[in-house]
Amino acid sequence: MSPTDPGGGTDPRTAAGDAPADAGRAELAVRQAELVASLVAGAPVPDGFDPDDLAVARRALLRKRAGEVRHGWPLLASSYGADWPETFAAWAAGRPPAGALRDGWDLARQLAAAGTLPERAAAELAGREALARYDGRSAPRPRRLPAARRVGRTVAVAAFGRVRLLSR
Amino acid sequence: MPMADVGVGVGWRSEIAGVLADLPGLRFTEVVAESLAGEPPALLGALADRGVTVIPHGTRLSLGGAEPVQPARLAHLANAARSLSAPLVSEHVAFVRGGGVEAGHLLPVPRTRAALAVLVENVRAAQAELPVPLALEPIAALFDWPDDEYDEAGFLTELLSRTDALLLLDVANVYANARNRGQDPVALLDRLPLERVAYVHVAGGSVRDGRYHDTHTDPTPPEVFELVAALCERRRPPALMLERDGRYPPADELRAELDALADAAGYPRVTT
Repeated sequence: MSPTDPGGGTDPRTAAGDAPADAGRAELAVRQAELVASLVAGAPVPDGFDPDDLAVARRALLRKRAGEVRHGWPLLASSYGADWPETFAAWAAGRPPAGALRDGWDLARQLAAAGTLPERAAAELAGREALARYDGRSAPRPRRLPAARRVGRTVAVAAFGRVRLLSR
Repeated sequence: MPMADVGVGVGWRSEIAGVLADLPGLRFTEVVAESLAGEPPALLGALADRGVTVIPHGTRLSLGGAEPVQPARLAHLANAARSLSAPLVSEHVAFVRGGGVEAGHLLPVPRTRAALAVLVENVRAAQAELPVPLALEPIAALFDWPDDEYDEAGFLTELLSRTDALLLLDVANVYANARNRGQDPVALLDRLPLERVAYVHVAGGSVRDGRYHDTHTDPTPPEVFELVAALCERRRPPALMLERDGRYPPADELRAELDALADAAGYPRVTT
């Protein structure tokens, strides 16, 4: 199949087939950013895309993320049983993925602040908080000094990379 | 071809490492490059030591992205190839981030001349840093861009001919895309440069929202095994492997699926 005329805005060197693609990169960058924002950050559907297709893709991405977070935060996910994918999706829709570790951490913190984090999940969060320092914006970093953190009824004490959970 | 007549395998994941260690006939596997940090995990290293070929499989180079490939990611993939003495590495025809935001998944590139030029540049930049050949894997896509100028086979053929890259053909992705676009998957196979296939992926999926999703968390459906058989009738690839990425089945189920793949491809079973 031979390509049809792509229309205006195309770098002539690119149209020649096999040359530097700087102008093409700039336009592609804008369009890829719009598409990613629509898929994971709640931005509108970019011109020309099928809204139904993108809605299906958006839901598929949320299901995949929910599975990844279930893997990293098994007690958080299992506290919600069969409702986990919907629980996660309701929170994650419109939030760009930060990776399973941070996604689960952010959700657990929000639920803990609202007082609705189930106790087993609170123990899981307390353990993570005691082991690592997480500023909510960048990758968590292991603590160098012993630390204790309480979430819900659980106190987690961490030292030298090991954690003990004390239930109150 | 970097691998010849190797047979069937399954992607290495720590959750099923014990199952893989127990496959006497296994001659190749693949590991997600981004999951490696420093020395390979012990069970993977043990496979490599017994002569099993291990192929590093990148997922986040974003070769189809507007930005040049990130040098640190490329160096990591190159190092993985060296430390595992891999005969090749693989990545996707996809982009995974835009505007500084990670999508968390492989997304399709527009099949335009402009996007192809960018992709070709990125692939060549990667090839220049890699110690071994690169195989490119077309993805399963749930949507197309509105301004595509090539169809999938035309785009891939052009990409491979301009870059001399090999093809990592994912039969489940071929099935998913054809089904979701209402096309014939065998007709697509017939238009691909099958002589460039380095190895093949096979995986399961499920139907949701009226579309077939390539989930890697479901069993491989019979239609995908039939497509494997159709592919092997035309030109049998040197190696084919199952991919599973979650909801791992019991060992017996995984072994049965691997036997079904071997039978569909006409290669010896690796489970005994």
